[in-house]
Amino acid sequence: MKAVGIASVLALAAGMAQAEGSLALYNWGDYINPDVLTKFTEETGIAVTLDTYSSNEEMLAKIQAGATGYDIVFPSVHMNDIMIKLGLLEKTGINSHPDFKNINPAFLRAKEDPASEYCLPYAWGTVGIFYNEAVTGPITGWADFFAIPEKTGGKITLLDDMREVIAIGHIMNGTSVNSTDPAAVQAATDYVLAHKGAVSAFTYEVPPMLTSGDIAAGHFFVGGNVFFTETPNIKYVIPAEGGTMYQENICMLASAPNKENARKFMEFYLRPEIAALNVAQQFNGTPNTPANDLTPEAIKSNPNINVGADTMARLQIFEDIGAALKLYDRAWNTIRTAQ
Amino acid sequence: MANRRQSVALGILLAPVTLFLGVFFLLPLGIIALFSVLTPGLYGGVEWAFYHWNYGRIFGWADGIIEIYEPIYLQILLRSLSFAALTVILTLILCYPVAFWVSRLSERWRLVFMFLITLPFFSSLIVRLYAWLLILKPSGLLNAALLALGIVDVPLEILYTPTAVVLGMVYVMVPFMFLPLYSAVDNLDRSQIEASLDLGANRVQTFVKVVLPQTLPGIMGGAVIVFIPSVGNFVVPDVLGGAKGLMIGNLVEQQFLSSRNWPFGSALSMIIMAVVLTVLLISVTRARKAGGHA
Repeated sequence: MKAVGIASVLALAAGMAQAEGSLALYNWGDYINPDVLTKFTEETGIAVTLDTYSSNEEMLAKIQAGATGYDIVFPSVHMNDIMIKLGLLEKTGINSHPDFKNINPAFLRAKEDPASEYCLPYAWGTVGIFYNEAVTGPITGWADFFAIPEKTGGKITLLDDMREVIAIGHIMNGTSVNSTDPAAVQAATDYVLAHKGAVSAFTYEVPPMLTSGDIAAGHFFVGGNVFFTETPNIKYVIPAEGGTMYQENICMLASAPNKENARKFMEFYLRPEIAALNVAQQFNGTPNTPANDLTPEAIKSNPNINVGADTMARLQIFEDIGAALKLYDRAWNTIRTAQ
Repeated sequence: MANRRQSVALGILLAPVTLFLGVFFLLPLGIIALFSVLTPGLYGGVEWAFYHWNYGRIFGWADGIIEIYEPIYLQILLRSLSFAALTVILTLILCYPVAFWVSRLSERWRLVFMFLITLPFFSSLIVRLYAWLLILKPSGLLNAALLALGIVDVPLEILYTPTAVVLGMVYVMVPFMFLPLYSAVDNLDRSQIEASLDLGANRVQTFVKVVLPQTLPGIMGGAVIVFIPSVGNFVVPDVLGGAKGLMIGNLVEQQFLSSRNWPFGSALSMIIMAVVLTVLLISVTRARKAGGHA
């Protein structure tokens, strides 16, 4: 499986690129600003191809099944750990680059890679609530969110994601979103079940449904802000009771055919102006400290996007829970089947 | 001698087909069967140790403990079967009269109609289902029309309900029901109908004794072709059901793409296959019996 096919090929400097070779990225959908790739190709002459996936497991299954031809993947932190354990990643020594000082050490989260010898922290974001203030009034957290249908008649949706949905129950019960205790998982499930009557659907269609007025609020990623820059009524909030966050790292595959180019890309991404260019289109956070000063004013001044330390303290990040995933699978299907 | 040479020639002729089926059908099936009794690997894949609780999990003993019985996966299986059966019934009710109507059209209009029936296959299923999403949503086409006509005062709640899932499945499956039905109706021996009416049978009797038995193979064929993909469908419940009208196909997908439990997904697939085989066997023996009477 070569990284062509469905890839959007950004062979801008095709002639020059031939001499410099190529670089194959395998990333989440809509998770990198195309301008970053264009700029990389302009500067280095390396042609970049981009394939996308929609879950860590999908990416892992493909790489495990022997997909070759990819140089760089963007796993979430817990998947980063799994991939190192499985021997799928290559040491890059990116931490010895002089620009590595730009990276805030708080983002070196991978347990298997505490010093960033393998991967470079890429981006992070929060999962919270988008709401149409004209319909719902001010919303500060989950309690307000679940009360919307009864109070206003507006509809609400949750993400179609097992861990994210059960995490809401954990947060409201004060248990860890990574709990593997059956009783805690059951209690979290019960919380969600108690509020399921208010939930219209489990879906990722939040931005279009919110824009068309078909829902009043939805559980979604901070990146959704990109759709709501011209709609002052639609706001994003990180729930007061707590929320989840995600972080992905840039990792080089052990099977990468273009290791030298992959390293060049990681070094390129260490530059603050490049990380800031990505944030300007992605609306998420960056571990690159100086980059935060270079982002557009609207992003810099929004405390729900450019998150401060106090907000950071109420965020939890998903860890790999191993075999306990079965517990969650059953809980999740119970939630979805309950009438 | 001649016979033997013929059979050798036939063997050589059929070898590529047999090989193709063996490699691309039986081998994957064998892998699924094998995986369904292995231990789930921690990070996806399997560990090479026998584990029978994958099937226990389907039937309610999810954690390999007899004391805890929670048949959630069984419920989802039963729900999928009833949705699929409902789809068969609705497509049949929809297509049966239409098949008669089309068979009476002129040659030219019949061709036009056949073209229209196959038209949806020209575009992707996902795109067509998203079109339905736009039609069914509260601010969508259907509700806008109903509101404008004054038929309803508040938008109908169809999207993200089981109704939307069944509607979507019926929409997807109509051509599969129509084509075998149409061919059965088209081959109907009309002189028998005339004879039946001439000899004093009323319309109902004629339908039950003459028309229905003759079109039964078409009904059975359509029912089987609609039922089988309906049981395993996961796209329609995902898009139109808001992931609430969960079906067994969704469950299989989930085991591979998010729960990392390949053996459980394989066991679920084996159960779907067992159900489908049972349905096929029943319909084949029925068809034989019907054939014996004729």
